[in-house]
Amino acid sequence: MEDLLICRCEGVCLAKILQSINEGATSVQGVKKRTRAGMGYCQGRTCQPILRDLLKEKVGTNSITQLQKAQAPVRPIRLGDL
Amino acid sequence: MKQKVVVIGAGIIGTAVAYYLSKQNVEVILVEAKDIAAGTSGACDKAIMLQSKKVGPALDLAIQSAMIYKELEQELQQDLEYHNGGGMILIENQLELNVLQERVKQQQAVGLKVKLLSGEEIRRKNPHISKNILAATWCEEDAEINPMHTAFAFAKAAYKNNVQIHLHSEVVELIIRNNQIQGVQTTNGAIYADSVILCSGVWTKHLLNTIDLDIPIKPRKGVILVTEKLPRMIDCNILSGAYLAAKLQIDNDPSTVGVGLAISQTKSGTLLIGGSREFVGFDPTVKGEIIRAIAKRAVAAFPILEHTNLIRSFAGFRPHTPDNLPILSDIPSIHGLFIAAGHEGDGVALAPITGQLAAKLVTRQNIDVDLTPYRFDRFSTNTVS
Repeated sequence: MEDLLICRCEGVCLAKILQSINEGATSVQGVKKRTRAGMGYCQGRTCQPILRDLLKEKVGTNSITQLQKAQAPVRPIRLGDL
Repeated sequence: MKQKVVVIGAGIIGTAVAYYLSKQNVEVILVEAKDIAAGTSGACDKAIMLQSKKVGPALDLAIQSAMIYKELEQELQQDLEYHNGGGMILIENQLELNVLQERVKQQQAVGLKVKLLSGEEIRRKNPHISKNILAATWCEEDAEINPMHTAFAFAKAAYKNNVQIHLHSEVVELIIRNNQIQGVQTTNGAIYADSVILCSGVWTKHLLNTIDLDIPIKPRKGVILVTEKLPRMIDCNILSGAYLAAKLQIDNDPSTVGVGLAISQTKSGTLLIGGSREFVGFDPTVKGEIIRAIAKRAVAAFPILEHTNLIRSFAGFRPHTPDNLPILSDIPSIHGLFIAAGHEGDGVALAPITGQLAAKLVTRQNIDVDLTPYRFDRFSTNTVS
């Protein structure tokens, strides 16, 4: 269970996520900055809801306020196309 | 009884100050409104660049700080992704060449290992650099670090040295009696202390305003692009001459956006591509035209990036001061109140030396550096009228 992959883009497992919450992370941003979960190619599109659920369960934070800041681009775009 | 010190702000500056204070014989409490590296220190690039600093106090401090960084991973026993790979400033035209040639001479005169390289020489160092780049300056002393790792590492090391860390505790009031600091009122209650040091970067002005003091720190927004992971293609810090000009421009006109290239590759393989400089208050919106302008400059300098995917952009607010120097000082009108803020884009480079000097300042030890250029009262408008 501990080696369950949560963020595929950055290869972050459940144990690391739980450890970051233990070390004081109370938000998706906080988990991200401590573990790199959500920093990869898909920008947390898959793992962010899982992180939100984990945070709700472990620290009881409100999942609505847990959204990662939306930043351009919405999907990857080639630098040459900009 | 031990001196008790409250450090406000857990960015790279506040965590560094808390860590170096923890090595003194004092009790330290680090108070942070959000989380470690949740503000400017989590929205910046990773350069420890010396050659981008003006000869004088800025370069003097940066050189001392760079020395500390060399040993910091060992001291903190943590991986900070430190890499002493050097740095270059790309020169695109004759005008930039003239300006930077002069600058290199001044920097060489104070002992910095910086020199000019021809276009051919820089393309031998990095074959991806466009043929249109005329020349570059090269400094082997430039280095890189992961600023988030560094802030977390300082905080962890401070915690091990018995610093109390209060996250999600916003300071709402500075408690002062008879011009002596008594502590801070936070959203989680009061903390009493003998000394308080403000390491709250762009948010420092707001706190000082609550006690009728002012400070000319303004948020200067910088946008950075993040690409997909690439095989190692950039091994050093790279700036464009235009970036340096944008950084040092005195023009405070809010309609002016300075854009120049600052590019480096993280250990994970992504490229961090900056950047812009603009005064728009705390508006975090990243505008399409700024992303486009930065991307254009990146592709112009590194044509190979044309097919590279951009995956994210972010904006950070750098604490700008009118003379581009940080404030590291006591606040003369309030005994026991100190400040270490206003580093703008040099906070990463200057964090260790700021931490060391601040720890000595707060504990009233002798300091062998002249702190006059960093004094709080060097600005004429410290009092709100």
